[in-house]
Order: sequence, then structure tokens, then C-alpha cells
Amino acid sequence: MVVAPSALKGDPPVGRVPLRTLRRWLPVAPFIGFVGLFLLWPAVVVFRRASERLDAVRAPMIEAITGQFGANFAFSIRLSALTAAIGVVVGTATAVAVARLGNASTTRNLIIGWSAVAANLGGLPLAFAFVAALGKQGLITRLLAEMGIDIVGAGFEIAGFWGIVLAYLYFQFPLMTLVMTPAIEGLRAAWREAAASLGADPRTYWRLVGLPILTPPMVSGFLLLFANAFSAYATAYALSSGGSRLIPVQIRFFLQGNTITGKTNLGYALAGWMIIVMVVTMGGFLLLRRRTERWRA
Amino acid sequence: MNATTDAAAGGTVRGRGARRRHLPSRLVLLVVGLFYLLPMLSMARFAFQRIPMYVLDASNVLSKWTAAPLLDAVRQPEFVTAALLSTRLAVLAALVTVVLLVPTLIYAYVVLPAAKPILDTISILPFVVPAIALVVGIAGAFRPIAPWFIASDLSLVPFYVVIALPYTYRSIDNSLAALDLRTLVDAGRSLGASWPRIVWSVVIPNIRAGIATAMLLVATVVLGEFTVASLLLKETLPLYLQYLQGGDPQGAFAVGLALMVVTAALLGAINKTSARRGVTQVAGVM
Repeated sequence: MVVAPSALKGDPPVGRVPLRTLRRWLPVAPFIGFVGLFLLWPAVVVFRRASERLDAVRAPMIEAITGQFGANFAFSIRLSALTAAIGVVVGTATAVAVARLGNASTTRNLIIGWSAVAANLGGLPLAFAFVAALGKQGLITRLLAEMGIDIVGAGFEIAGFWGIVLAYLYFQFPLMTLVMTPAIEGLRAAWREAAASLGADPRTYWRLVGLPILTPPMVSGFLLLFANAFSAYATAYALSSGGSRLIPVQIRFFLQGNTITGKTNLGYALAGWMIIVMVVTMGGFLLLRRRTERWRA
Repeated sequence: MNATTDAAAGGTVRGRGARRRHLPSRLVLLVVGLFYLLPMLSMARFAFQRIPMYVLDASNVLSKWTAAPLLDAVRQPEFVTAALLSTRLAVLAALVTVVLLVPTLIYAYVVLPAAKPILDTISILPFVVPAIALVVGIAGAFRPIAPWFIASDLSLVPFYVVIALPYTYRSIDNSLAALDLRTLVDAGRSLGASWPRIVWSVVIPNIRAGIATAMLLVATVVLGEFTVASLLLKETLPLYLQYLQGGDPQGAFAVGLALMVVTAALLGAINKTSARRGVTQVAGVM
């Protein structure tokens, strides 16, 4: 009681500082508010709805990773990891091959330029291209058949696991090439010469110098490619005519207002888990990338 | 020719080994090149050749090519409507992006550097919310309280601004970082220019390339985005592809190929404007 008046007297200067800070931050508020309203709020709603149990037997977040939906998550993760792994190997090999050509090479610039384009292709057009190539009446299917390789008879389906893997590789390869090219071109000729003058043959150089330097960007590239495949939707949706087991395609079913009795809010929970997986992989990617960049500087 | 330059650089002693080691890398480029090329060729054949696959052989592979499927498809009124909507969305989203980002970033650079790391972090947040999860959240957040908002075609604008944000932000940020903004602003102030005047006639002319790149990036996103438009039932160009596929697959493939060519041209222009600054557009998380 006795303390209160003096505390009040001390208030104005304390209160004025935050007010001034507030005024200084006011000009950046529209940007933060915009992202808050159109990105963060929807994301928060996803988790809020995913945590409401309603009529469900189990909490939606649990339901989303058990039983049939757990299996679908495993399917999505397996597919994303596989395309990322193949993408890392082939994308890196391409980057190494491209780096050998030297800066002035037309082939190099063609491949790098095309990679910047192809890494951003996707959606329906990409699905169309793969149907035209590897569908039952596809050009490649036909060419292979002429050569005596019957992929349709062997059970290959463009809407199946391997069909989607191949279509995703079309944007995974170039993305990895883009990620690795600066790292590989950053390997200095001086290091190779130093290793050679110390008696290292090319294989020893790659084992002791090249690979250790390239490992962090390769790991971060894997995470980026995984996230890229995991969040893709349109290509898989179009290839499978909406029938794929991939989680993004499954979510569509719930979003169109379908609910399975006793599993309300499951669509929110699937979306919530997708965000969690993305936070983990993209977080890892950014952390690793920051470390590599610091090291390179 | 490149084998020789490489061998020469490696010295005569390593010459033979270098050439031998070169073969695998040529093989890689050949295989990857075919992988990139063949689906596009297949699509072009399907879209522009009027010969069914089962009668196609070496004798007729060059005959009956026609641009008619594309020309017929783009004459449909549905195509015109979809193209107009996509154009409107691209222009509006590009404008909103610039109005939102340019003043905010200039302010952060000149007055409030403490805000910069926070803005950087916010700008990459769209990466962790996949489009399909975002649209679930949009439905859950806006349908109950603002159904009129998601009923409007233009409701896509803010979401496209957000989806393109990681790329657009970096493009404008990089072009501002390349300037000595404080000196420019101080010089302008000492000559008596007002703040708006400095932004308009000093800063913006210096970051024109970054702004142009950001706007092209938005256009690329709008041309390619299917998920949000599809689930909010907006008839944009990618949705028109799906509609056309039902009745006229050949036309749909032709329009799809044309869309890819336009996207490639946009991305080519982007690389050209950003190449001088040494910015690699690592994109793709869409």
C-alpha cells in the first residue's frame, strides 16, 4: 500500500521506453502482421483443430500416425527419402562432371541454366510429361518395348511408387546440382595440388580432402530434397488421379469435407504432422547450411 | 575439347589418367541429359503430332506435326477466363509483394537493424508450411469467420505473396545489401530531400533489378501453383489444365508444355537479372 504511490511515480519513464520502442517497430508491423495473418494463423489453426478430440476415439494427432495413416506416412517418408538419396548421388555426380568442364564451357552453362529451370518445374505439366513418356502409351515405354523391355508387363505403373519416384527425380536432380555446384567449384585447385605434392593420388585426395569438405553440403542437400519431395502435391495428385497413398493426396480427401466417423479433425492432424516433419528437416537444412557458409568464408 | 583442356591443366604426366577419368563424367552428363530431354520430347510429340502411339514408327515420326491442339485450346473461352485470372493474380501479388517488402526492408536497413534477423527468419517460414497444409489451415481459419473472403478469386493474392516470400524477400534483400544505404540516405537528407523522395528517387532506382526479379518470381509461382487454387476451387491456368485434360488431353498437354516454356523463360529472365550479383536461385520448395 505504501509502496504503490512511489511505484506509480516511477511508471512514466518506464512506460515511455516501451512506447518509443513500439513506435520504432511500428513500420515493420504490416509485414509481420501480413505473414502472421496469412501464414502463421492458418498454421496455428491446424494445430488447434488437430488437438480437439471431439467424437474421436483417439486424439487426432495420435490417430494420424497409427494404423492405415501411419502406414501412409511411412510410404510418404520412404518415397521422399528415396528420391532425396538418388537425387543427392546423381545431382552431385552431375555437379562434379559440370565443374570439370570449367567456367567458360557452354555445356556447363546450359546444364546450370536448365537446372535452375527444372528445379522449379512441377505440378500438372510435369505429370503430363511423364505420362507421355512412361505411361502405358508413352514414348519411352514404346521404345523400351521395341528393345524387348516390357515395363508394363513387369508391373511398372506411372501412378505407382516408382512412377512417382521418377517424376520427382526430374526436379530433385537439378535442385541438388544447384546446391552442390558452388561447393564443388569452391574446392580450390591449390588443395588438390598440395595433396598431390604430398604424394596423395586422386583417390586419397577425394577420401581425405574432397569428401570431408563436401559431406556437410551433401547432408544439407539431402534434407532439402527430402522436404521438397515430402511437401510436393500436384504432380503426385495428377499422376495418380487423386488415388495415391501419399499424405498430401490423402489430405485432399478430408479437405473436401469428407470425414470418417470417429476420426474428426484427422485432416488437420495429418497437416500438423507434415508441418512438424518440415520444421525438423528444413531446420536441419538451415543449420547445416549456415555452418557450411561460415566455413567457406 | 574439354578433355584436352583438362588434361593440359593437369600436366602431361597426368594427361592419360585425366582423360580416362573423364569418361564417367561424360557418361553422367549424357544419361542425365537424356533423362531431362526425353520426357519433354515425349510430351511435345503427344501434344503436337496427330499420330496415335500404336501406329508410330520410324517412317512417320516426322509427319503430321501440328500446332492446332494448342491454338484450339487457347481459343476456348475457359482458357481466356483462366489466363485473365492468373494474370490478375500475378500482377496483384507482385504489387503487394513490392509494397510490403520494399519499405519494410529499407526501414530495417536504415533505422532498425535490430529487426533484420527477425524479418530474415519470418521470410523463410513459408518453407515449413507445405501448400497442402497451408490450405487446410486457410479453410479452418477463414471459413468460419470470413467465408466471403475465401469465396473471392482474389483471396489467392495474399497466399501467393506468402508462398513466394522466401524467394522475393531474398531478391530484394540482396539488392539492398549491395548498396551503401546509409550513405545514400544521409546524402539525400543533407540535400534536403524528404523520406518519400529519397525512397522513390534514390533507393528504388538502385534496386530496380531486385524488384524486377521479385515480381518475376511471383509470376512464376502464380503460373505453377496448383494446390491452393485447386482446393479453394479457383479457375486459374493450372486448374484449366486439369479441366481440359478430361475432354481434350492433347490440348491439355499442349497448354501444359506452353506453360512450362513460359515458366522457363521467366526463370531465364530471373537468372539473367540476378546473375550479375552472383545470386544462385536455390528454389524448389513449393
